[in-house]
Amino acid sequence: MTRLIVVRLIQLPVIVAAIFMITFACAWMIPGDPLARPEAQRPPQEVQQAMRREYNLDSPWSFLGAYVKKVVTRCDFGPSLKFRDQRVNDIIASGLPVSALLGVAALIVALHLGLAAGVLGALRPGSAVDMSSLAMALIGVSLPAFVTGSVLLVVFAGLLHLAPVGGWGTPRHLVLPAITLGVMPAAYIARLIRLGLADVMSSDYVRTARAKGLSMRRALFSHALKVAFLPVLSFLGPAAAAVMTGSFVVEKVFAIPGLGEHFVNAVLNKDQFLILGVVLVYSVMLVLFNLIVDVAYVWVDPRIELS
Amino acid sequence: MRWLIAILVLDLVLAGALVFNVGEAQRADLVFVSGGGHKFLDPQLVTWLDDIRITECLFEPLVRIKLPEMVIEPAAAESYSVDADGLTYTFQLRPTARWSNGDPVTSSDFIFAWRRALMPDSAAGYSNLLWLIDGGEEFFKWRQAQLQAYAKDEKNNLAEAQRLLDEAIERFGKTVGLSAPDDRTLVVRLARPIPYFLQLCAFATYMPVHRASVEPQASLSIDSGRLVQDPYWTRPDRLICNGPYLLARRRFRRDLLLTANPNYWNRAAMGNRSILERIVTNPSIALMLYESGEVDWLPDIPSTSQLAADLVSAGRRDVHVVPGAGTYFYNFNCQATLPDGAVNPLVDPRVRRALSMTIDREIIVKTLGRLGQPPAYTFTPVGAVPGYDPPVEAGARFDPEAARKLLAAAGYDPQQGGNHLEGLSILYNTGFGHELIAQQITRTWKKHLNIDVTLNGQEKSVFGDRLDNHNFIISRAGWFGDYVDPTTFLDKFESSNNNNDAAYSNAEYDQLLKQAAAELDQAKRMKLLRRAEVIMLHDQPIAPIYQYVELNVYDEGRVKNLNPNPWHFRRLELVRVER
Repeated sequence: MTRLIVVRLIQLPVIVAAIFMITFACAWMIPGDPLARPEAQRPPQEVQQAMRREYNLDSPWSFLGAYVKKVVTRCDFGPSLKFRDQRVNDIIASGLPVSALLGVAALIVALHLGLAAGVLGALRPGSAVDMSSLAMALIGVSLPAFVTGSVLLVVFAGLLHLAPVGGWGTPRHLVLPAITLGVMPAAYIARLIRLGLADVMSSDYVRTARAKGLSMRRALFSHALKVAFLPVLSFLGPAAAAVMTGSFVVEKVFAIPGLGEHFVNAVLNKDQFLILGVVLVYSVMLVLFNLIVDVAYVWVDPRIELS
Repeated sequence: MRWLIAILVLDLVLAGALVFNVGEAQRADLVFVSGGGHKFLDPQLVTWLDDIRITECLFEPLVRIKLPEMVIEPAAAESYSVDADGLTYTFQLRPTARWSNGDPVTSSDFIFAWRRALMPDSAAGYSNLLWLIDGGEEFFKWRQAQLQAYAKDEKNNLAEAQRLLDEAIERFGKTVGLSAPDDRTLVVRLARPIPYFLQLCAFATYMPVHRASVEPQASLSIDSGRLVQDPYWTRPDRLICNGPYLLARRRFRRDLLLTANPNYWNRAAMGNRSILERIVTNPSIALMLYESGEVDWLPDIPSTSQLAADLVSAGRRDVHVVPGAGTYFYNFNCQATLPDGAVNPLVDPRVRRALSMTIDREIIVKTLGRLGQPPAYTFTPVGAVPGYDPPVEAGARFDPEAARKLLAAAGYDPQQGGNHLEGLSILYNTGFGHELIAQQITRTWKKHLNIDVTLNGQEKSVFGDRLDNHNFIISRAGWFGDYVDPTTFLDKFESSNNNNDAAYSNAEYDQLLKQAAAELDQAKRMKLLRRAEVIMLHDQPIAPIYQYVELNVYDEGRVKNLNPNPWHFRRLELVRVER
């Protein structure tokens, strides 16, 4: 396992660098001048050129060189070109914990809901409980986040006054957004668990154990679930990606000051530094999370060897 | 059980994170929701409404606008006088006017701030508002040329940049009509008489900054030679201000908390001690927050949104529709040839007038505006400028019959052997409902004039570029006045004006504007400006469509002294909220 971790940690900068270069190339090609201030008097051409030199925006190579140096030596992602009195580090520092917390909460909701629905269905296959949990899973996968979120908001915050109307700051603010974001991965997890359990429960060794007197409950929880959980574990990697990038919509619906909106708006604003900073942070997080998932995979089932 | 442990660990992580990220959203005396984050809080740089709103709370200019009367009253200056020639203003600063750190507000703070606005280095959006100070425009252009030469030579020499800066500061002192005979006296000499100068003095660009703390936070750029201000000077821990409030806390894209400035001279008159601005981009959430009682006032519901239309049609008492000092209109390209070299059919004012006469403004405001916007027949909105009566009679009323006759007279009548009017297109920026109005207008033109017009929707910055370069035939546009005077609308069509997107040029019009600028008698001046607008409306370089309106949602019974008005003048420090 140590070897796995070390190899992955060596691969991390390579993967991140590749993502960075592709993003940089695309961002550089976006039309428009990020330094332009349409409301002010346009400066003469030479001054505009000089201003671009100030930010190293005159040539892609000088930008790359200066940028990489600043990031590597001082972890300084530069100034935001749209929000002129903010630095990218500050924007990320204010938005990342919010989005990360929302993401973790959503995944936990997903795991709990998904496991519960999947296990309940597997305990009574073919019953009303099983059918309804499968139906809920289908709905969960089909409904987009802005529909789920808006409905939850209107019902629980607007009508029943059980939850705050959007915003951020207390644990109560986390509930509805986490549910909204977690519903889709929950649906996938429910399906995976349900099918996995059905599979394992009909395998020879479980049937033998049941024949020898083991109760359904024990068979499921002590034996089958461990095996059925493995696909869920490997699903957590892409689930984390979906949750991180999908947070933009939920943040918009619930007025949450996360990083998601910058991920999208930075491109529209051609805010070079913010685009690169956010992409770097997201890609490092995603690669690390996938590493954690792989390690957990091996740890949970020692039979598995990841080559 | 290992997997169970894994899940429990995850639960603990969340619980821990929840514990450390807990923070109670604070209440304040006045809570409102702003639709967007802030670009700057620097008074010399702000141009956006939501930035100006906050700047007005943090900084105090020489004079302020008294509401609801909309007259000038003393603020940082306790008295002021103007010479008979209307050129020289003398302000006496209030001895009790203080910065938040206790320093007295001095005339050199004002001169320093106005110099910042007049230097092209800062790229202030409203630097041209200071060009009316004697020598202001010349200084701006001179410094611009200095920087241009530096950038061209690619000198990249800090000592040289410093030398140029020193030279510029010296030149400013010598050539620009600003002087401070003592710490409490400010003398301003204008390039020509400006009847609305005191109004401009109330505007953000004319606000002072605390020179002692702001000046050291600027440094020279070796690449461009510009003096670049460290934008962090407006952070809560660094900002020193002279207005009714201090910047207590600012959380990016989240909220902004203002608390009463203990050193503000007029603390006793304030109606509240704290203001919380919550930043919520989603108007539906903003409305839910308001209805849940968490928020007192919603000034930023977008007027093009369905939500706005629903609020107005519901006839709620707390929804206040205020006519704005702005006009939604269409530009007609008035140049002889189009950018691609083809002859411009719109160069003939008869054609433009015919098109304008075939716009059914009533239908547009009823079905597309839906907020009770007044249809516009003049460029200066009716009722916006007290003492000025826009020439509505000179506007283009809906009369397709007369329009067809005009077109025929201009040679565009296919039935009589004339040309078919073709090649027209409407340029607009996407995403704000402009395409609906454009579709309505093209349909009406097709129906009554039998012409085909294509629609050309572009992304906002591309749209803006094309407008600047006159790269359009017809375009959608909007304009808000910056100060309470007809010239804020009419100057736009002066031949050399930067914002003359239609490229309209009429020597008589320009002459009238010039005459008005030199006229000291207000009544005569208004008459001259009215005559100019009549000429412009006759030529229809633009087709005014409707007057903008603003939505303000608040309970009049609880929120007092808000006084919404067409000009977005605000005195938030006087607002009182009863719980």
